[in-house]
Amino acid sequence: MARATRSGTRVDTVVLAACLFASLIARVLPSETRQAFAGPIRETFIGPLISLQVQAERARGAFISRDITAARLDSLVLRNAELREMELDNERLRALLGLGARLRSGFVAAEALHRPEYGDAHTVIVTAGARAGVVVRSAVVAPEGLIGYVVSVEDETSVALLWTHQDFGVSATSADGRVFGIIKPHQGDDVERFLLELRGVAFRDSLAAGTEIRSSGMGSVFPRGIPIGTVVGDITTPGSYSRTYLVRPMVMPADVSVVMVLLPSAVSVENAWRAPTTDSLRRAINSFGDSVTRAARRDSLQKALRDTLPPARRDTVPPARRDTIPDETTVRRP
Amino acid sequence: MTAFGFLKGVGVFLLLLALHFLIRPLIGTRISIDFLIIAVLLAAVHVRPGVAAIIGFAAGLIADSLTPLSFGAGALAMSAVGSGASWLKAAVFGDNVLAQTVFFGAGKIAFDIIYLVVEGRLGISGLPMQLLVWTPLSALATGLAGVLVVFTFRISMESRP
Repeated sequence: MARATRSGTRVDTVVLAACLFASLIARVLPSETRQAFAGPIRETFIGPLISLQVQAERARGAFISRDITAARLDSLVLRNAELREMELDNERLRALLGLGARLRSGFVAAEALHRPEYGDAHTVIVTAGARAGVVVRSAVVAPEGLIGYVVSVEDETSVALLWTHQDFGVSATSADGRVFGIIKPHQGDDVERFLLELRGVAFRDSLAAGTEIRSSGMGSVFPRGIPIGTVVGDITTPGSYSRTYLVRPMVMPADVSVVMVLLPSAVSVENAWRAPTTDSLRRAINSFGDSVTRAARRDSLQKALRDTLPPARRDTVPPARRDTIPDETTVRRP
Repeated sequence: MTAFGFLKGVGVFLLLLALHFLIRPLIGTRISIDFLIIAVLLAAVHVRPGVAAIIGFAAGLIADSLTPLSFGAGALAMSAVGSGASWLKAAVFGDNVLAQTVFFGAGKIAFDIIYLVVEGRLGISGLPMQLLVWTPLSALATGLAGVLVVFTFRISMESRP
């Protein structure tokens, strides 16, 4: 028994020594030979394990890069949203530019600052005041149509009442001038809260859905011809003496950031909203661009002339050459 | 050892081999759990030192095949550790968790020492840092993982001839 155990121990020792010797041989083999041994092992025995390792490393890489990817995605989404806002602003400004070109004079462009406070959603602060010629009851418009009117004026700013306020009202007519009435905000619930009503329409007159409603010019507050909205349908209640129509407004005040305040001198604005074509808008923008280019060219020409020509003389006496004037330091005093 | 016990042992060995190539890259830190050491040590407890040396040699060659520049170092270290563990299996006190943790941890430390010295890749500056910081931490992780494997698969750590 003891002999068998000793024999077994000897065998174990020999095997261990053989393993260690083989390992040392493998360690000192030339690089090509080591590759020749390692390659087949890699390709056969542990091939599936290597693919497992590759998958694990990919998973780890994906896990690590997840936050970075999410941050990049968030930035892109944010930038995309900003670009969309800029695009809308650009469109609105282009439209405003076109409207300004058509109005020619009698208006002042300003920004509309919405008040975030609850309960004050029916007014906006307009960044143009008395110094710009704004007076109380000046109409506030956007390229699409009427927004409201000025209710108080400071030197630099003014406050405009929006059409959503219950006190708002404007004398209106159909685009063809056939039907007249008074536009008031519709006191409905939810979505209908943002609609208008055309009240006081005579029973003999009827309006089809889609008919455009504009300011009539009566009452001397709003000039004639400012678009207000389009007829949605008849909401006349039984027993009333006149018709009432629901009107979808041309402009949602919340969407407006740049407005135009019509000054008292703007008497006739009707043609400004007469279905402007794309060509006319483009011409207006191009003409504006041309005028800017011309002004820039004029400035550069003047600058170039200033740089190249001698300064204008104040008198006819030619200026003395500097080298002919005796310097004080060189003049000898007696 | 019964046939079931043998098959179970082979299955656990192969599973640990797979985990070695799956978990370590997934964690990706310098403190790594050496599942290959756990597999060799678990096998070494149940076989003779000579067989443990062969198992260690094979496992080492598998690991070395991925690092041809240090080919042979892993086989040598794993052979020595496997054979040594088989000789020292009497010191593994059955179900004593602490002894098992030390057993796996010491195996990892011994492997790292032999491997790093034979490989000779790390210089004077890198070797102490590896052996004094990363190796003990890896040994601790390996020891805990080894105990977890033992309890999960209900592997007997009683020494057998």
